[in-house]
Amino acid sequence: MPKAFDKNCEIISNDMINRNYFRLKVKTYSALNHCIPGQFFMIGIPDVFLRRPIGIYNVENDVLTFLYKLVGYGTKKLSTIKTGQLSLLGPLGNGYDLKKIENLKYVAVVGGVGIAPINFLANKLKNKGILYYGVRSKHDILDLNIFKKKNWEIIISTEDGSEGYKGYITDLLQYNFDSKHILISSGPNLMLNKILKIAVEKHISGFISFDVKMACGLGNCQGCAIRVKDEIKMVCKDGPVFKIDDISFNL
Amino acid sequence: MNPNLNVDFVGIKFNNPVIVSSGTFGYGFELEDLIDICKLGGIITKTITLEPRHGNPQPRIAEVSSGIVNNIGLQNVGIVKFVEKYLKKIIKFDIPVIVSISGKNVCEYIKIIEILNKQDCISAVELNLSCPNLNESIICNDLDLVYNIITGIKQKTKIPLIAKLSPSYNILEIALIAQKAGVDGLTIANTYPAMVVNVDIYKKFNVMFGGLSGPSIKPISIRYVYDVYKKVDIPIIGCGGIMNGNDAIEFLASGSKLVSVGTACLISPNNLINIIEEIELILKKNKIKSINEIIGICNKK
Repeated sequence: MPKAFDKNCEIISNDMINRNYFRLKVKTYSALNHCIPGQFFMIGIPDVFLRRPIGIYNVENDVLTFLYKLVGYGTKKLSTIKTGQLSLLGPLGNGYDLKKIENLKYVAVVGGVGIAPINFLANKLKNKGILYYGVRSKHDILDLNIFKKKNWEIIISTEDGSEGYKGYITDLLQYNFDSKHILISSGPNLMLNKILKIAVEKHISGFISFDVKMACGLGNCQGCAIRVKDEIKMVCKDGPVFKIDDISFNL
Repeated sequence: MNPNLNVDFVGIKFNNPVIVSSGTFGYGFELEDLIDICKLGGIITKTITLEPRHGNPQPRIAEVSSGIVNNIGLQNVGIVKFVEKYLKKIIKFDIPVIVSISGKNVCEYIKIIEILNKQDCISAVELNLSCPNLNESIICNDLDLVYNIITGIKQKTKIPLIAKLSPSYNILEIALIAQKAGVDGLTIANTYPAMVVNVDIYKKFNVMFGGLSGPSIKPISIRYVYDVYKKVDIPIIGCGGIMNGNDAIEFLASGSKLVSVGTACLISPNNLINIIEEIELILKKNKIKSINEIIGICNKK
């Protein structure tokens, strides 16, 4: 596990991708190629009391890229800051276990902003996989270049039917999915709940990444607790990536 | 010459007056890769109960203007596992360790203290009489219970006892009862019972109860420290929304001998070290030779 740092980092760019999403690039003080897909940083935003946990979208030497969705006050404020420094604490948490995924037939099931860690994961994985990507409408589809470059099969669903299958991405999994696959998933809790159900029914193993509110990112405030089997685990420290076999229903 | 930051509190020497509040620094050792824990004045552990506790279900945290409302519910591993697994990891930092404990009644407190009596590395015990996030009512609301718990434990231990009080309108009355019962020090104060209503598009108006901490409570807690300091003879740990050295000095000048920092540590553990350095700087700037010169100075005017 790489050691976390807590330092101010220079903003390189903070650009709007579309109406809901922004891409933030920062320069860190040293190369961070040891970061693992699924890990996150707590990002301090001026005039916002708590830092916000944001997943790593990509790492190239000392340039860290984040992809974030405008959700509330914090992310909206972040989107207005174009220059200067931001305080960064990370990399934090446990990411996807690359060794366990690498040599298997992997299927990524992603909802909305959940694409961020999966983009980083696809970057690190050598082989192609299958990407199931569900969004609200075609305007919400983000850059899928890394998946295309690596010849992933890409299946898209939109809730309004403006592109691909009309409905939820989880509707498609009922039929196209069996225990030969290893599942990698990231997205909203409602989607993850459905995926867990399907995974259990079909005896599919894999990894799921959770996105919950947290105050410290270090396991200290205990604000991001979820029940994993019979134990209480912290999403920030024990996760955000968990083994499917370990998770119980109804997050 | 650097100002002297040493403070004596309930007979224990602290290298500086900045300690971490219970529940914001884990069991005390987890952040050793991130900050130099030896530089802290001391540690107050997460509150430990007799049996392990899972804590409360989600939601547990809400950000509000200048603060946090938390509803953790004393999640912890229980006293037996704490002593066996974690205590030895904290004492290696060679700074005072205060163990925070909580029980439902006198009997539970005594069972916990009897286990802690066998550990000679504990500087003091903080009695969390004021957690606002349990199904049971807050102990501080029952003055007889406060008295009975403190006298009950006092008979069973030589470890100095600190009572952590609720920020309640009758805090002075509670403080005097605790003093009469024989407590060695006070922590003023815990988080403030609070509530957040989540107004969402589904018109569900979900309510979250919890304890409010952060800069929004600071002036109220400072007033409590000031008022209690005037009337009691035992030393006080002041806390509530300390974010920088100046905040800490406000508490010290109002009568706290130590200050504990919680919410600022959740935002960044570096804040703890920054606060110590800022206190030193402020004293230097004002040509104050020892921190003890300013403790309670507001009351002497």
